[in-house]
Amino acid sequence: MKILIIEDEIDIATSIKSYLKANDIHCETASKFETALDKITMYDYDCILVDLMLPDGDGFNILKELKSLNKSEGIIIISAKETLETKIEGFNLGADDYLTKPFHLSELLVRIQALVRRKKFNGNNKIGFNEIEVDTLAKSVKIGEKKIECTKKEIDLLLFLIGNKNKVLSKSAIAEHLSGDMADMLDNHDFVYAHIKNLKKKLSDAGSNDYIKSIYGIGYKWNND
Amino acid sequence: MVTNGIMTEKLLHKTLKYYLSFSLLVMLLAAPLFYFVTQFLYLEEADEGLVLLKKEFIENSIPKLKENDIEVWNKLNRNVKINKVQENLKEDTFFYKKYYDTLDVENEPYRVLVSPVTINGKDYTFFARTNLVEKKDLIVSIIILFVVIIAILLIGLFIITKRVSLTLWKPFYETLEQIERFEIDKNLDSKLTTNNIEEFNRLNLAINKLIKKNTLIYKSQEEFIENAAHELQTPIAIFKGKLETLLQRSDVTEEQFEILDKLNDTATRLNRLNKNLLLLSKIESKQYNILEDVFLDVVITNQLDFFKEQAFAKNISIATNLESGTLIRTNPFLSEILISNLFLNTINHNIINGIINVVLDKNSLIFSNTGIPKSLEINKLFERFSKVNPSSKGNGLGLSIIKKIADNNQWNVIYNFKDNLHIFEIRF
Repeated sequence: MKILIIEDEIDIATSIKSYLKANDIHCETASKFETALDKITMYDYDCILVDLMLPDGDGFNILKELKSLNKSEGIIIISAKETLETKIEGFNLGADDYLTKPFHLSELLVRIQALVRRKKFNGNNKIGFNEIEVDTLAKSVKIGEKKIECTKKEIDLLLFLIGNKNKVLSKSAIAEHLSGDMADMLDNHDFVYAHIKNLKKKLSDAGSNDYIKSIYGIGYKWNND
Repeated sequence: MVTNGIMTEKLLHKTLKYYLSFSLLVMLLAAPLFYFVTQFLYLEEADEGLVLLKKEFIENSIPKLKENDIEVWNKLNRNVKINKVQENLKEDTFFYKKYYDTLDVENEPYRVLVSPVTINGKDYTFFARTNLVEKKDLIVSIIILFVVIIAILLIGLFIITKRVSLTLWKPFYETLEQIERFEIDKNLDSKLTTNNIEEFNRLNLAINKLIKKNTLIYKSQEEFIENAAHELQTPIAIFKGKLETLLQRSDVTEEQFEILDKLNDTATRLNRLNKNLLLLSKIESKQYNILEDVFLDVVITNQLDFFKEQAFAKNISIATNLESGTLIRTNPFLSEILISNLFLNTINHNIINGIINVVLDKNSLIFSNTGIPKSLEINKLFERFSKVNPSSKGNGLGLSIIKKIADNNQWNVIYNFKDNLHIFEIRF
């Protein structure tokens, strides 16, 4: 998978790059409006991350340019601006998702995966991992041929973990992913433990391997070893 | 009227008071003076009349008068008489004397002139008198006159002062009203009008300048907070990104992992603080003033699951009594923020195994919760960064946000401590 990161803060761009690299995502970066325009006209990407505030231009103009080029790349806006108006304008100009800075890299990764899945495999919403299969549309989980009952939150958690396989996830990253808009309000991440415990039990009861590994009791990791 | 413990009165009354006391003073001084001057002039006139009578007598009567006629003369004239010679009388002498008046049946004051005259070579005393106004009568008349004059004067002054001050002071009262209505955080255009009185113009100009300057300072401060909060987001994003990258390294020890986790939590807190500051200044600058009809019970129900999960860790039970279909006209975004902050406040400051009650009806929304077993200090409760419990993880902005949103909607927030429950009531 190849994505373009249009971001003037090089530190943010490199962090994203190094995080995504391990998941076989090749990242190219553009820190200026002009270079970004050059790149989107010359190459095709699976997904483009756009920062709205660039030193020499407005990120919205990149979206307009992409629209006029009839490009169908998935676009995720990454911005410090979080007013409803900005978001609406972004979506109107063809953005597929909007992430407010600061965000967890793990969150960005699953958003990219979800977006690419929607764009590339129209209708096919099944994600597999060894014996586990998740249907993101029907919101159901199967272990081999056996269907298990999971809550919406648990499926969300499972997708997040699988999406970030082999990555160490802090409780706060998981908590923020699960609570969506309410993430700002969180003070206590203990509820993550309860969800992990329930999910683990449901998976092992259905005969799945135990992939969820606790890291020093503070974080978790979906382990493929 | 009492202002700041000092009795105050209207400007008009104060002016009138001065006018009144001055007029009284003038009257008290002028009345006796007037009396003496009148008296003096009156006597002067009486004396002159008497002297004239004497001259007339000497010029016209004496040449025709015979000694035998004197008795007849005296009988015919009431106020002029020829008496026997008086010893020691060398010149005209004036004096007062009261005579009994048979017509008036009382003693009347008279001015009397006695003067030595010679008739046919014989010395006599010429006597003439003239009736005077009684002293008492004069004083009474003067007092009545003065009282009437003062009364007319005061009534006139009162009416004129009132008229004049109403028109003269009108711009002043208009200015006063405008200043009273002025609130720095409301974008009211308070342009004071100019008028043709120099002092008031100066006042208005000075006030306009002051308002303009203060509004500017307030705006730039607001902008500063907003910009600062905004600019902080990028470094926080970088910080969090680097932490997460570090977390992925396979050689991270447990100790390092814990440190990284704590740093991550701190960055999250920093971010939340930042966002709340941003939110506060946005509410202040009226960026959320689009109103819609919001079902508040639905807003609460939507958030209930999330907060029940949060409360579960402290084993806090949440009981709700929501009147369904409670329609409130407010900004939908702010109503969500209000509810989540109320929930968060009641959870964060709660105790293990505590309780939270949420009651909503058409007039009020009440959140009550268990917590520290004493009332919170009300004065500083809603101020920014005022923390009741310094060790708590809250950032001291939650209640400020609640208050700000309530203020924005012209709602009242009332805090009470009753039956070991901290009660926050919002009255619509």
